[in-house]
Amino acid sequence: MAGINLSDRKETLFLEALGSPVIDMNNLRKLCSTGIVETCGIRTICWRLLLNCLPKQRTKWPEALEKQRCEYQQFLNEMIIEPGLKRCNAAPGLDDHPLNPNPTSEWNSYFKDNDILLQIDKDVRRLCPDIAFFQNATAYPCEPLVSPTSRLENLRKRVERSVLSSQNLTRKRLGISNLISSRKQASREYDTLEEGQEAHWEVVERILFIYAKLNPGTAYVQGMNEIIGPLYYTLASDPNLEWKEHAEADTFFCFTNLMGEIRDNFIKSLDKSGSGIEASMNRVLCLLRQVDPEVWLRLDSLAIKPQFYLFRWITLLLSQEFSLPDVIHIWDILFSDSRRFDFLIAVCSAMIILLRDEILTRDFSHNMKLLQNYPLRIDVNTIISKAKEIYHNLRN
Amino acid sequence: MSLKSKKEPQPQPQRRVFKVIVIGDSDVGKTCLTYRFCSGQFQDKTEATIGVDFRERMVDVDGELIKLQLWDTAGQERFRKSMVPHYYRNYSSFQNLPAWIEECNKYCSSSGGIPRILVGNKSDLKEKSEVDTNTAQRYADSHCMPLFEASAKEDKDFANIEAIFLTLAHKLKCHKPMMSGDYPSMKRATVLSIDKELVRKNSDSYCANC
Repeated sequence: MAGINLSDRKETLFLEALGSPVIDMNNLRKLCSTGIVETCGIRTICWRLLLNCLPKQRTKWPEALEKQRCEYQQFLNEMIIEPGLKRCNAAPGLDDHPLNPNPTSEWNSYFKDNDILLQIDKDVRRLCPDIAFFQNATAYPCEPLVSPTSRLENLRKRVERSVLSSQNLTRKRLGISNLISSRKQASREYDTLEEGQEAHWEVVERILFIYAKLNPGTAYVQGMNEIIGPLYYTLASDPNLEWKEHAEADTFFCFTNLMGEIRDNFIKSLDKSGSGIEASMNRVLCLLRQVDPEVWLRLDSLAIKPQFYLFRWITLLLSQEFSLPDVIHIWDILFSDSRRFDFLIAVCSAMIILLRDEILTRDFSHNMKLLQNYPLRIDVNTIISKAKEIYHNLRN
Repeated sequence: MSLKSKKEPQPQPQRRVFKVIVIGDSDVGKTCLTYRFCSGQFQDKTEATIGVDFRERMVDVDGELIKLQLWDTAGQERFRKSMVPHYYRNYSSFQNLPAWIEECNKYCSSSGGIPRILVGNKSDLKEKSEVDTNTAQRYADSHCMPLFEASAKEDKDFANIEAIFLTLAHKLKCHKPMMSGDYPSMKRATVLSIDKELVRKNSDSYCANC
């Protein structure tokens, strides 16, 4: 009973914090730093606030959301709907054609975009394979794209066509004269849903494609799917139906803001820079060396390099290490960090230290497997407590 | 990323460790193949590999128990050198093979002597097409690699998957350590992957270097 009362009380605290005309962000961060309550769609509001997708002034929320959602709709029109219409209505162009070598050729950028789209497609189809959610149909498909009467080239058709055309081309290049009728392979393992329906992974694909178009410097890198997955899942499961309906647009902005902070981890040319992945991995190791030199030394002498495990932990904000509910819980706390993502460094160190007995006694192989498949028996709350202990000791 | 890493000396000095690195385009089935070999199971759906995954299995090679370490790598360019974008190349891991071989050579200075194996995975999806097997075979021959076609998915194909890695282990066993800095008990292997999907059949390629 005490537990129930406690969570009721926590919910009240959240509702109070979110109910004030101007949100006290410090107070909210503090509340979120112990995990956000599961009820009343509180998490999606908190995440939006923490990721700077909502202003502190409550009265400005409707306007801010409206503006973002319109903006997203424009991106959608500009980057997917209009080009899709153009492609299905296209008369054979006199000036532009697929083999036009001119870099400004629309075909040229179309093919470049296809490279990115196909990579995204491979990854979103296998997003969070442990749960059915992403394979299920969304209640809010993008109508112009999925309407059975529409001839528009949506991303689904575009992926299929790109695969087919490159198949044909490959065969020609190999000098095979009889083109066997092509069999669609793109969706061999994961069925796309019937016309008129759209799976959640297709929505995620669209957001990532638009993000890649708007951020050509980073475009799409494997692992971004694992960052957007928990965001979209949370927003698309919002009990507040009005907000749930706009999960796609809102996820886009949450993702964009989040990527603004962690993007450098995905950029190879920045690996060795102060903001790149190597610097972050070194920070974990430095902290580990400080807190538990014995474990640090052991990993070092076994030549278990941070690239073998920390690379993934940090790049994906731990999203592949735990089950989705645990990831979401950890993200509550990571997002509430006022010095984002310093606390992640402490969490990673804590994760290693909690395995110290095994690390100190077992060999390379065992420890590699241990670090790459974080044991279920260690509860995330134990990890968080340990990380907080480390973090606070460090700052005092 | 793991190509140059050194391994720890094993506690049991008599037990040798062979290191195999699996490389190739994304979504060709590198993870499923190595998982199948190490656990005997087929993982129906796997997430994209980020960084590198480590797996291992003991194998008996001519009476010697050897630990095969498999390093299953990520397929995307983030984890390798950037390539000149090529319009039509995106979905054909077979056509990307030269780039993978080049990468392999880059990291293994003495790769001329390093055994490699080319594997066509997902053979359960193939439509019978001798041309493509021939094409793959010609390519493998021209790079002195044996070609295997296999399916990580089909239970009945498990022996085939065993054969891939056991062949590799044999080749490694006969091979002298190339790098003086290596621990004597340690041998290395690299695996290249391709996706022959476009060329009718899906395939992974393995290149072993020791």
